[in-house]
Amino acid sequence: MVQTILSSIRKDFRVEFRGRYAINVSVAFAFITTLSISFATGGTAIRPAIQAIFLWVILFFSAMNSLSHVFTREEEESTALFLRLHSSAETVFLSKLLYNMAVFMFLEMLIVPLCVFFLSITVIQPVQFTITMLAGGIAITSATTIIAAIVSQSGGRGSLFTILSFPVTLPVLWVTIDATTRSITSGLIFSWNSVLFLGAFSMALLIVSYLLFPVIWDEG
Amino acid sequence: MVYTLIMSIFYVLMPVSIVLAFLWAPPAEILGETSRILYFHVPVAWVAVLAFVISGISSLLYLWDRNNRFFILELKAYHAARMGLVFCVITVITGSMWAKASWGSYWNWDPRQSSIMVLFLIYVAYFSLYSAMRENSRRDVLASAYLVFAMVTVPFLVFVIPRIYPSLHPDPIINAQRKINMDPAMQLTLIFSMISFTLFFLYLYTLQLRAAILQRRIEERHHEKL
Repeated sequence: MVQTILSSIRKDFRVEFRGRYAINVSVAFAFITTLSISFATGGTAIRPAIQAIFLWVILFFSAMNSLSHVFTREEEESTALFLRLHSSAETVFLSKLLYNMAVFMFLEMLIVPLCVFFLSITVIQPVQFTITMLAGGIAITSATTIIAAIVSQSGGRGSLFTILSFPVTLPVLWVTIDATTRSITSGLIFSWNSVLFLGAFSMALLIVSYLLFPVIWDEG
Repeated sequence: MVYTLIMSIFYVLMPVSIVLAFLWAPPAEILGETSRILYFHVPVAWVAVLAFVISGISSLLYLWDRNNRFFILELKAYHAARMGLVFCVITVITGSMWAKASWGSYWNWDPRQSSIMVLFLIYVAYFSLYSAMRENSRRDVLASAYLVFAMVTVPFLVFVIPRIYPSLHPDPIINAQRKINMDPAMQLTLIFSMISFTLFFLYLYTLQLRAAILQRRIEERHHEKL
């Protein structure tokens, strides 16, 4: 199973980086929005709370295209049937989930330095900041992978994915923005409850997604 | 039979609850007469959560029940979600009225206000998904899967988030000691009101299901004639 998951992730990366459509769109979106915000604020000092909001909103909307692409690509290129015959639903789900997590981490590695540079974010508590970014990324991908599968099966496209994902990821954004604010503001105490919440939320959604995926994936 | 029973008890209990809420229960200390909205706001919030849980459980049974042993589970899930959304709106409206009277503005981004709004958006998204799949033969399966997924977020939004962040909500019902620090008369009125609104929900829900079953039968007859 592990071998199949790894080969499936390798395949997804190869296919993605051959065309680079989804990643290119996400990176371009991140660059444009970060520069637009920096340009619009024109050197005005932005409060840490607002910086944290900008950072997570840019991350969320940049990732939206890439996260849904993992399943819609299989349907568009008519490879979903082959994938159904070749791998079990559980394997497909785990490989797509891990691929989405890797993509989100990749986007974080690009977007966080970009925001730190252009929005003048000063990280006061680097360990807490890094843990928040990781926990937030895992929570968002845990919430959106199953939604991407539902949207790809429903015949819906990008806008439907955002409409379905945004409310489910709102609690995550809410908690991560607060935790990020605390890690970039001097004098504020970091709350580990936020990380605990993100862990519990991810775990609950992952378990239910893992159990639901075969029903969504295997056509009745 | 069940429908008649629910209807009869509801017709007795609801007027009693209204009388108790406005005439018998004393006004709360500090909050005054505005506290009477408690007997309507808390029950509708409870009913909204109950409806979402019913929609999630019905969806779960629908996905599990491959041999169609249970009747119209997909319709039960859909209508429960619809009712939950309506009660969610009523919760937001009654909460906002009370917030205006107590805190000075209709919307304060209190954790409980925000979490009920997020819950509302999650179920609005469900109806977007449902309507986007009008021609899709797998609509019931996919929509049910989404409802089960949505149900998992409910405890986090209703119980966890409001406890992580400081809330402006009154302490007697929601507190760290997990005790109801409330006048016995107020407590009894609230219990009456909770039961009445639960019956009100069940009454409307069964009515909607009966209408939906009739509509399905008419459509089937129409198809048979064609």
